[in-house]
Amino acid sequence: MATTAGTPRRRALSRWETRTGLLFVLPCFLLFLAFRFGPSIAGVLLGFFDYTIGDSPTFSGVDNYRRLLADPTFWSALKVTLFYTVLYVPASIGLSLGMALLVRRAFRGARFFRSVFFLPVVTSLVLAGTIFTWLFSSEGPWTKLTGSSWLASTTLVVPALVLVSVWSRFGYGMLIILARLQDVPRELEEAALTDGAGPWQRFRHIVAPQLRPALFFLAIIETTNSFQVFDLVYVMTGGGPAHSSYTLVMHLYDQGFKYFDFGYASAIGVSLFVMTLVVALIQRLILGRNR
Amino acid sequence: MSLTATRPAPSAPAARPVTRSYRALEPSRTGKVVRVVLLAIATPVTLFPFYAMVVLSLKPATAVRFPASLLPWPLHTGAYAQVLGGRDMLRWTLNTLVYSVVSVVAVLLLASLAGYAFAKKRFPGRETMFWSFLSMVMVPYHVTLIPTFVLISKLGGVDTYWGLILPTLANAQAVFLMRQFIGGLPDELFEAARLDGCSEWRVFTRIVLPLCKPILATLGVFVFLWHWNDFLWPLIVGQDTHMRTLTVGIAALQQENVPLNVVLAGATVAFVPIFAAYLVGQRYFTEGVTMSGIKG
Repeated sequence: MATTAGTPRRRALSRWETRTGLLFVLPCFLLFLAFRFGPSIAGVLLGFFDYTIGDSPTFSGVDNYRRLLADPTFWSALKVTLFYTVLYVPASIGLSLGMALLVRRAFRGARFFRSVFFLPVVTSLVLAGTIFTWLFSSEGPWTKLTGSSWLASTTLVVPALVLVSVWSRFGYGMLIILARLQDVPRELEEAALTDGAGPWQRFRHIVAPQLRPALFFLAIIETTNSFQVFDLVYVMTGGGPAHSSYTLVMHLYDQGFKYFDFGYASAIGVSLFVMTLVVALIQRLILGRNR
Repeated sequence: MSLTATRPAPSAPAARPVTRSYRALEPSRTGKVVRVVLLAIATPVTLFPFYAMVVLSLKPATAVRFPASLLPWPLHTGAYAQVLGGRDMLRWTLNTLVYSVVSVVAVLLLASLAGYAFAKKRFPGRETMFWSFLSMVMVPYHVTLIPTFVLISKLGGVDTYWGLILPTLANAQAVFLMRQFIGGLPDELFEAARLDGCSEWRVFTRIVLPLCKPILATLGVFVFLWHWNDFLWPLIVGQDTHMRTLTVGIAALQQENVPLNVVLAGATVAFVPIFAAYLVGQRYFTEGVTMSGIKG
């Protein structure tokens, strides 16, 4: 191959290759330009403009950000979003881990149980939201069971949303963890068993270290998802009662598509982006420290 | 042989320690009881919302009080007559189908074209372009939401199928997965076809695509599911009642104080196709969701 590299035929071939390569990437590239690269840059820039529908954008410097910092609704939405994240991430990962360990070994029906637990993952959050709204309603079983209506309570509404999210997502984490569990070397566990290690010790010293990357991955992805929680809130509570479940994306949606304040809504979008970047940065730092 | 035997094998003492430890890794008797008990709790809890959805959709509007409402009889199909009798539900189903099916076909085609080029063609800027595509995974959907909406509405795409579909086709995960998969295929396959005088397009359609069948199936299911369940973008672009997808339509029914049995009948109708597909091609669902998720 090296001997023919300089021949005219070879050069013609590589020019041809370049052309087909570019041609095949072109449709995707144009779509990315129009709907990913362009809007990403525009989204950041719009944060510095005053812009509503039917008007042309006017540069307003950091006005939107000044307004953001002074906006009590933004701070409360941030608090609600972080509260939701702090409850949701450990709860969902914990349940995923527990269920994965439960259905880990092959036994009769293991496959059936795995598919049952994965079923909520393929169900849309809107459907989950409509059903759970009834479960949590004043006539619903959850209210009868606990004696209070969670969706009507300013303190219990976020935990209620977290419960629904955990129901709809734990099967995903369970599968991710199950995939890693298959890589745990069987000989290692058997050796530990022969040395008299109990189930907890085996989990702690053999299984857990193998699972760390998967758990870490789940923590990152679920945290990022939590920052963007919207569908369930929109369907189940609309942000209420009294803004106690009003999240950042709800705020962005209302500012952008109810009041058509595109500049301000973009500033909220940028704040979400910054939060995501901070999580990614923490991820880098921790990964860097581990190895 | 005796490695896989779970019954005691006294005639093969040499294999015994292995057999024992193999068995001992299985849960003890108490462990098994605990497992059965936990599964006996977790399974009904997981399935209960689905049961409630179906049963309540088969009740008259007034019978939503717990627990009497959860008995499966008497059946009352009025809600379905109402949901399926109206035009809206059929239109929403059609919209959702168009949104999902067109997107799957387009994403698979575009991503395999780009993936093939990124994996097997040399051209200037290849790596830069690929990594800049991939970096878009980091930018949350919501940062691009407003500019994308402004662009689509300026182009007159609000309440149109193309306005709904086009922005969702730039799928970085799909390109990434296709590049990874095609990168693992041996070059000789393509070289041989090319020497036989196949055009590049023929190589792509006759060799690359058939070889990619497994990944296309998995990725296709994932993209389909994502579009079928998508909510925020269709909510924004489909402002007319007739341009709603099922998720948007059902959320609207719920907010318009439509009786619960009717909302849940709609929800059941929206759920049945996904459930049927899940029963048939479960492997693709689990693979698609986990694989794509891993690339976050």
